[in-house]
Amino acid sequence: MSNEPKAGVLQGTLDLMILQTLATLGSLHGYAISARIEQVSSGAIQLNMGTLYPGLMRLEQRGFVRAQWDRTETNRRARYYSITAAGRRQLQTEKTEWARMTAIMQAMLEGDAQ
Amino acid sequence: MRFRLLEWWRRGRETFRHRDDSQAEDELRFHLEMAELDALRKGQDVREARLRAGGIAQAAEAVRDQRTIGWLSDFLRDSRHGIRMLRRSPLFTIAAIVSLALGIGANTAIFSLIDTVMLRSMPVREPGRLVQFRRDLSYPLFRQFGRELRCFTDMFAQSSLGSRDIILDGEPEAVSAELVSGNYYSLLGVSAFTGRVFDLELDGKPEPVAVISHAYWQRRFGLDPGVIGRSFRWNGRAFTIIGVTPAAFHGVVPGVLPEITLPLSMAGEILDGPAWLTADSRRWLEVMGRLRAGYTIERAQVEVAAIYARVIRTEAEHSIGNEFERQRILAQQMLLEPSGNGFDFLRFRFAEPLRLLMGIVAMILLIACANLANLLLGRATTRRREIAVRLAMGAGRGRLLRQMLTEGMLLATAAGILGVLMAWWSANALVVMMSNGGDRIAVNSRPDFRILAFAACISAAACLLFSIAPAIQATRFRIQPGLADARAARWRLGRGLIASQVAISILLLIGAGLFGRTLLRLYSLETGFHREDVTLVSVKTDGASMSGNALRGRILETLRSLPGVASASFEMSPLSYKGWEASARPEGYTHGFNEDDQVHVSFIAEDYFRTLRTPLILGREFSERDTTASPKVVVVNETFARRYFRGQSPLGKWLTFVGEPDRMQIVGMAQDIRSRSLRGNIPPTVYKDAAQMSRPPSGVYIVRGARIAPLVDSALKQVDGRLRATDVRTLDENLSRAILRERMLGTLSGLFGALSLVLVSLGVYGVMAFHVARRQKEIGIRMALGARPLQVTGMVLSETALPVGAGVVMGVAGALGLARVTEKMIYGVTPTDLVTFAGAVGVLIVLALVAAYVPSRRAARLSPIETLRCE
Repeated sequence: MSNEPKAGVLQGTLDLMILQTLATLGSLHGYAISARIEQVSSGAIQLNMGTLYPGLMRLEQRGFVRAQWDRTETNRRARYYSITAAGRRQLQTEKTEWARMTAIMQAMLEGDAQ
Repeated sequence: MRFRLLEWWRRGRETFRHRDDSQAEDELRFHLEMAELDALRKGQDVREARLRAGGIAQAAEAVRDQRTIGWLSDFLRDSRHGIRMLRRSPLFTIAAIVSLALGIGANTAIFSLIDTVMLRSMPVREPGRLVQFRRDLSYPLFRQFGRELRCFTDMFAQSSLGSRDIILDGEPEAVSAELVSGNYYSLLGVSAFTGRVFDLELDGKPEPVAVISHAYWQRRFGLDPGVIGRSFRWNGRAFTIIGVTPAAFHGVVPGVLPEITLPLSMAGEILDGPAWLTADSRRWLEVMGRLRAGYTIERAQVEVAAIYARVIRTEAEHSIGNEFERQRILAQQMLLEPSGNGFDFLRFRFAEPLRLLMGIVAMILLIACANLANLLLGRATTRRREIAVRLAMGAGRGRLLRQMLTEGMLLATAAGILGVLMAWWSANALVVMMSNGGDRIAVNSRPDFRILAFAACISAAACLLFSIAPAIQATRFRIQPGLADARAARWRLGRGLIASQVAISILLLIGAGLFGRTLLRLYSLETGFHREDVTLVSVKTDGASMSGNALRGRILETLRSLPGVASASFEMSPLSYKGWEASARPEGYTHGFNEDDQVHVSFIAEDYFRTLRTPLILGREFSERDTTASPKVVVVNETFARRYFRGQSPLGKWLTFVGEPDRMQIVGMAQDIRSRSLRGNIPPTVYKDAAQMSRPPSGVYIVRGARIAPLVDSALKQVDGRLRATDVRTLDENLSRAILRERMLGTLSGLFGALSLVLVSLGVYGVMAFHVARRQKEIGIRMALGARPLQVTGMVLSETALPVGAGVVMGVAGALGLARVTEKMIYGVTPTDLVTFAGAVGVLIVLALVAAYVPSRRAARLSPIETLRCE
């Protein structure tokens, strides 16, 4: 497909990014989530709908996020996602794991450089 | 992990839920609009922003795939589609399901019989290590083997007694009984469900105890645990019930469910004397052993043969017969065979017919599959446009194939379910047929797991068989579908199907013809007696005040006085040629050193030949004047006279038997009588008068008179209140039972042959109807140019000729190839019987022509104008 995100989204990291975004900003609709991720990554990660929405569906099915229809400030109907308690716990675990992983990789790569 | 499960659970649930995707699409549309607005606001390229976000349709598809389980929801969608398609043509659907169900049902029914009779292992410990003696042993020989054989850890003996009377709660009732040695249960590894079973000590210390089966416990005692300790009377002696066997244990003889098991060591009391346990000549025990570790059946066989060689040497030395008799004794063998399925009289009797029937029903299934393939092919061709459009729109061929297979699977599943129901019903009918008039054959025909699995497997195999070819065919042609190509390919395949169906059907018809003619031959044989209106009566005389000749005389007198009875007599074992053999020494004949001198000896009463309407060729038969006091007389049959007197009259000649002091004079010669099984040779036979025996034999009363069954009991009561008729049946029933195998094969193969005819004519009709329809235009033009209807019909029929002819040739060739297999099972016809072959071929050709004629006539009737206009 022509509209792959610029930086390939690692399997599993998408979930982490979405959860982190929702944990930070509270309830958001799908576009706001993708805009936020794009902004934070300085445009490096651009999610298309075919990636984002199945991801949101998966998180919803696993019980990490909750979704409901609501009105935007401009009075348009949109679906808002928010993180659940289980989602927060999952985020915590994943973050720890991520930190551990990056630390290992860092040590490894720096050790190699010498 | 928990979250993953949750995800799959929700996806599964969503799969089965109807949900419209409009909300999801709303969300995506909102996303796209926001992206466009954002781009506008930031002054970026709107088009690029839209591209970046992606297409709504693709995203919606991806969301749907995440929401549900993809393949499963495809499958459900295909099924719904399939059901809709099938509902739209109910006639097609019903025809397809019923013809396939007939095939599956027939296979399942025969399989369930094979399963119970031949395949199922007994629910005992290590059935694979069990070995049986192929011949029955006497009790002393069983003991001798038990002492001397090293190859078995242990061996037990058992004997089925059939249906016997016991007195329970003061009332007589019939139960099926068997005798077993004390180690029977321990060797099999069967322990009591409740109470206890026999143990080894019982062999040395006989006790009047009994073990009952779970089924009997349920039927008679309603599973009452208080049954332990209750007693019943057998032959006037009280036996105590000490235990119940588990429900899964059905004894060691397939098809025979013993309800009461008694200790073999009590045989003297249970039967009519101690001789059963002491006489070498009474070979009545079926023996099974458990192989010792490290022994194979071959090694065990060597050991058994060594011991048995000693046994028969001793027997030959003590034989009173001549050299021929000695050689016969020495030639005996004692063979072993594996017996994890139990003793196998049923297997022995029905193995070959059942295997043959399995082959027959498999062929029926093939024909049904060919029909279904043909029908599906026809539908695929009519759906050509739909399929072409879908292929053009980019539907994957695999996806289309899957859809068409789903449809086939729906048909196969429905047919499978219907087939199992049919099998259930017909297996019961088959069991009734197999046990016709005989002892109850307890074959479990209820569809259990194995049978259901079998039905599922053949349904699946059938589904693949009939739906793959049409599916591939239908999706093969290019996007620009060559209609003519498709139809030509369909005609090629259709012809192939006709040819193979015809071939198979010819094979089945020839088989049916051969077995049918066998049956006719058996029925039309010169039997030497008139079977009509003859009733056989077995009488239980225990406890009667009279006995012997006096009692028999009184019973005969009473039977003769019944209304409608012309005459009555008696024979030890009517029309069986079983049992008694003796070495005859006729006056004026010297046996060669090595000549067979055995003749059959039958004990009969006066009026025997008159009752059976067997012509007496010379002399007289026995009468009331022949008694123990008068000179001993015998009647011989033609074969005897021919062999020993060579055309001279046997009347007045004298006869003795080796080992018997009496000289007997021949007073009559009767026509040869065939045994009940109708096949086989008629032995030279000497009829002795039961009235002249000092110890009269027991036997069966033969009465000429129809419908006397209801009168028998009250008549017997007049003689003595203790007498009871244990079995009353017509000679006809008795004969039917003796040729059960032939009847079963004849009837079933005829039935299946007819079924194949129906299926084949359906097939030919289907192919030809389609063929004619595709050539409507051509036919219209021909007729417009002056072809007459008859010519059109002839043209279509001549096109049927090639595939039908090819099928006939293949079928006949196949039947010739199988001649060796059928040869053993037929009688009085050769396996290449011309009449049968010609008949089968004739019937099939006529039927195929009729099936092809109907559509061809329809084509010829059409007006050319209409035909051309409708295209």
